[in-house]
Amino acid sequence: MTRVPLLSAEGLVSGYGGAMVLHGVSFSLAEGEILAILGKNGMGKSTLLKTIMGFVAAREGAISFAGQDSTGRSPHLMARDGIAYAPQEFTIFQDLTVEENLRLGAPSDTVFNARVDRLENVFPRMLERLKQRAGTLSGGEQKMLLMSRALLAEPKVMLIDEISEGLQPTMIARMAEALSTARETFGCAILIVEQHLAFALKVADRYAVLKLGEIVEEGAAGDPSAASALAEHLKV
Amino acid sequence: MAILVLDMLTTSLILFVVAAGLMIILGVMKLINFAHGAFLTVGGYTAMLTTDAGVSPWLSGPLALIFGFFGGLLIERFIVRPLYDRPLDAILATWGLGIVIGQLITLGFGREVQFAASPLEGTLTLGAIDYSAYRLAVSGIALAIGAGLTALLYLTRFGLNARAVIMNETLARGLGIDSARVRAFTFGLGAGLACAAGALITPLLSVDPNMGLPWLVNSFMLVLVSGVSIPSLLLASLLLGSAQVLVSTFVSPILGGMTIVVLAAAILRINPRGLSFG
Amino acid sequence: MSRRRPLRTALIGAFVALAVIAAGPFVLDTYTTNILIRAFFLAALAMTVDVLWGYTGILTFGQSAFFGIGAYACALTFTHYGFGPGWAIGALLAGMGTAMVVAALIGWLAFYHGASPLYASIITLALPIVFVQLIFAGGRFTGSSSGLSAFPTYYWAFETWFWIAGTYLVLVATVAWIFVKSDFGRLLVAIRENEDRCAYLGIPVSGVKITLMVAAGAIGAGAGFGYSAFTNVVAPELGGFLLGTELLIWTALGGRGTLLGPIFGAIGIDVTASYLTGALPFLWTLLVGIAFIVVIVFLPEGLAPIIGRRLRAAGQALNLVGAPHVSSYSVKAINPGSHASEDVEVPLRTEGLQRHYGSLKVLDGISLEARKAEILSIVGPNGAGKTTFMRCVSDGGERSGGKVFINGAEIGRFAPHRVAKLGVGRSFQNTNLFDTLTVGECLMLARFKTDGAQKFSRRESLDLPEPALAILRATELADAMTLETRNLSHGMKRGLELAMVLATEPSVLLLDEPTAGLTKAERTAIGDVLVKLANDHRLCIVLIEHDLDFVRDISSRIVVLHQGALLMQGTVEEVINSDLVKAVYAGEDAESVK
Repeated sequence: MTRVPLLSAEGLVSGYGGAMVLHGVSFSLAEGEILAILGKNGMGKSTLLKTIMGFVAAREGAISFAGQDSTGRSPHLMARDGIAYAPQEFTIFQDLTVEENLRLGAPSDTVFNARVDRLENVFPRMLERLKQRAGTLSGGEQKMLLMSRALLAEPKVMLIDEISEGLQPTMIARMAEALSTARETFGCAILIVEQHLAFALKVADRYAVLKLGEIVEEGAAGDPSAASALAEHLKV
Repeated sequence: MAILVLDMLTTSLILFVVAAGLMIILGVMKLINFAHGAFLTVGGYTAMLTTDAGVSPWLSGPLALIFGFFGGLLIERFIVRPLYDRPLDAILATWGLGIVIGQLITLGFGREVQFAASPLEGTLTLGAIDYSAYRLAVSGIALAIGAGLTALLYLTRFGLNARAVIMNETLARGLGIDSARVRAFTFGLGAGLACAAGALITPLLSVDPNMGLPWLVNSFMLVLVSGVSIPSLLLASLLLGSAQVLVSTFVSPILGGMTIVVLAAAILRINPRGLSFG
Repeated sequence: MSRRRPLRTALIGAFVALAVIAAGPFVLDTYTTNILIRAFFLAALAMTVDVLWGYTGILTFGQSAFFGIGAYACALTFTHYGFGPGWAIGALLAGMGTAMVVAALIGWLAFYHGASPLYASIITLALPIVFVQLIFAGGRFTGSSSGLSAFPTYYWAFETWFWIAGTYLVLVATVAWIFVKSDFGRLLVAIRENEDRCAYLGIPVSGVKITLMVAAGAIGAGAGFGYSAFTNVVAPELGGFLLGTELLIWTALGGRGTLLGPIFGAIGIDVTASYLTGALPFLWTLLVGIAFIVVIVFLPEGLAPIIGRRLRAAGQALNLVGAPHVSSYSVKAINPGSHASEDVEVPLRTEGLQRHYGSLKVLDGISLEARKAEILSIVGPNGAGKTTFMRCVSDGGERSGGKVFINGAEIGRFAPHRVAKLGVGRSFQNTNLFDTLTVGECLMLARFKTDGAQKFSRRESLDLPEPALAILRATELADAMTLETRNLSHGMKRGLELAMVLATEPSVLLLDEPTAGLTKAERTAIGDVLVKLANDHRLCIVLIEHDLDFVRDISSRIVVLHQGALLMQGTVEEVINSDLVKAVYAGEDAESVK
């Protein structure tokens, strides 16, 4: 990769209380690139995203974003710098309406009003349900809302934690499409963490495997041997 | 009979406006502000000073609101913020703050009971009965404040951010909401509301350095029973406030003084969620 | 010798204190003596607040009410009924009795499983308010707001009263000291630090709290009685909310959870206040208020620990005292108790177990059996309902529908400690144990269900079942008995967690991700112990695990949960090779692959 890294981490160590979950993780993400971090449950995928956002403090190592050192920066500032984070659980505000959830994604109400129409092409269903309480949406629709919110924020980087989980194959395909749209329309880079191999390889440019808090393998997603090599790491 | 109904309504609405500031702070910050009573007292003295200075008594409420808001910002920064992780200690620290405020007032104004002029004297004739005009005015203002708070929470960006922080602070921060600022502003707002409420009720009563204490306990109970929502606080105020008036009228005024406390404890024992809905 | 030390310290301390009190009236002037008598009674009351709040974590605003009950028992009896030794003893007993009944009632209201700590505070806040209103309502009988005064009482010399008050304080403080330093005292700290965990170890937390409340109420009423008989004046404020909060201030300033700190805090502040109120009427209260805020924000431990450390350092420098005492327990193995020998082939059975949150069905009709001597693993993607299942099995109040049988007995709506008594041992996903307790103390707590806890001494040795010992040995905890748990490594914490559960001698062992965050070697060690437990001790083990390699290595059977429903169950081979399971793990919808 010759492109300048937009978001990168060097030797991240972090965890909860006395137990470290990440033991020195490094990666870099270039502008407009999609990187998939693969791994089974409990390997530290979610912790990695939380550490980048600043929800979990990095004990060692450094994070840099858009050319400046972002280690130890608080989450709301990371978000304002242009990182959209979609956690795995409790991703939307169940008791707010769809519209309110979307408004929260945009930096201001003016921006929201200007951008909301762009959902028409990607997730028209969201525009139909603006006044509905988000908690009453189906599981798939909630994921759409999550993606829609990220699209309105027009972030430089999206961090997405297992978006494919619990989705039907058709929905997974829609999500893959939405991610590509995001990249095409405003050149957003995306870091996804996933267990779903096929989905990850379909959308990503590159992959890395996280195992027990360390990156054990990396490669290009297009590489024909990737799938079989990865299956070994992820098998049930 | 009509007077009884009016008493029930006005008492409930006064309780509502007095408890509103406490509820806002509990809702957003998950913190029980035991300095609430002292803030009410500060409002009372603001009203007294306003009228003493010859300014229209109608302005004492807004002035108290502004004063309380900025005082609240300072208090949040230095006393409340270090205690976010220790909610029970925050109760104690704010109680200590209440003591300090009470003593400062005593040092400044003495212990004696004083009075503030009422912006509205006399009674209003409603059909066959005469009723205190200011009580009715306060009730109207209470409803207006309730409506204003609802509008603030549901129609503004700040309200949306505050509700997002209430529901899921982690997620809210991840979306770029500065929850520390939302909390600080909320504490200022809660303190301002408490001061304004103190200024509002003062013409009905009198001012002394401990005037806020009985209100603190009742507000605390109402807020715990209602949970964090303006409509349910209104409902809790109506139910318990009316019960208080009924017990005071038909049983004994002394037992009326503990009606809210006892009923609230009983309601919470039966249903830990109290009367909250929505 | 080590076991005797707290007792010896307490007795020496008590003796010195009594000597000081005996000498007091001869060196102090009348005014000071007079003030100190009242301060002693209040200090005894503050001490009960420390036991409840400082040690056990019950933030009480209402301890003053018990003081008021004792005070009014004295005043009312002497005013209205009669005066004399018989009447005095009768009134004291009546006051303490009433306080105990009220305390029991308050405890019953405030402490039930699942009650928030705030609710207990609300109830204790309501108590003094109700008390004061009742006194107001009593009219001429209780003297209403002006109280009662000038009733006949013992007009003894100040010295006599000083000795009575001082002796009462030293007596209750000594008993309380020995109590909080005992095994049972550690149990109080455990309740403060992690009430839930205590309940799942089979400790009747609510019962302990209620008993403590009753004892504290009796001591408070006794102090109030003395106060009233001495001052010859009672007023509603003695049982009011403001005194209740002042007690908290004294306790916090002195140092919560130190027992002596609050006693000296109460005496110091009350005496200074009496001296200063003449010269600086309001300034003193202002200063106390400021000090209180500063201590809460910056020194939550209060002043006692700071002074204590200074004193101890000075003492050590002069070779007067040794290192702080840490109780070390020696362990010995015992034969497994009754549970394991019970002849129930299916120790755990659920029928149509359901758990709903509103319209969200987290568990939807789970029926399964776990047999003796097997390791049943529950697997499934995140959000499948695995932890909820554990919760519903170990707490009768959790489920929305269906039945759970433990060793043949239906658990009904049992609170966790009663389910634990039926033979369920549950370990948790997170490793929050009891931070300030040592490993040995944690194990002692785990034996509470079978061996109880000594109320006035420390046990010297612990009887542990062989499986618990095996875990201790495997994780090197056996050599770390005096280490506080917060200083343990993650692996040791997991080991201790497991050892504690095993020490309760369960017949059904529920383990929620016992190997999360462990190294490969640690996983293997724990896996070996589990297999041994199933094979040799015929335990029924139910396990939640994400690590499917681990599951495959040790399980007898596997149950797969998906979106709250039982997707399939079978042998390891059947499940691992099932396309359905693979699909579910790959994130596909179960319906579409069926």
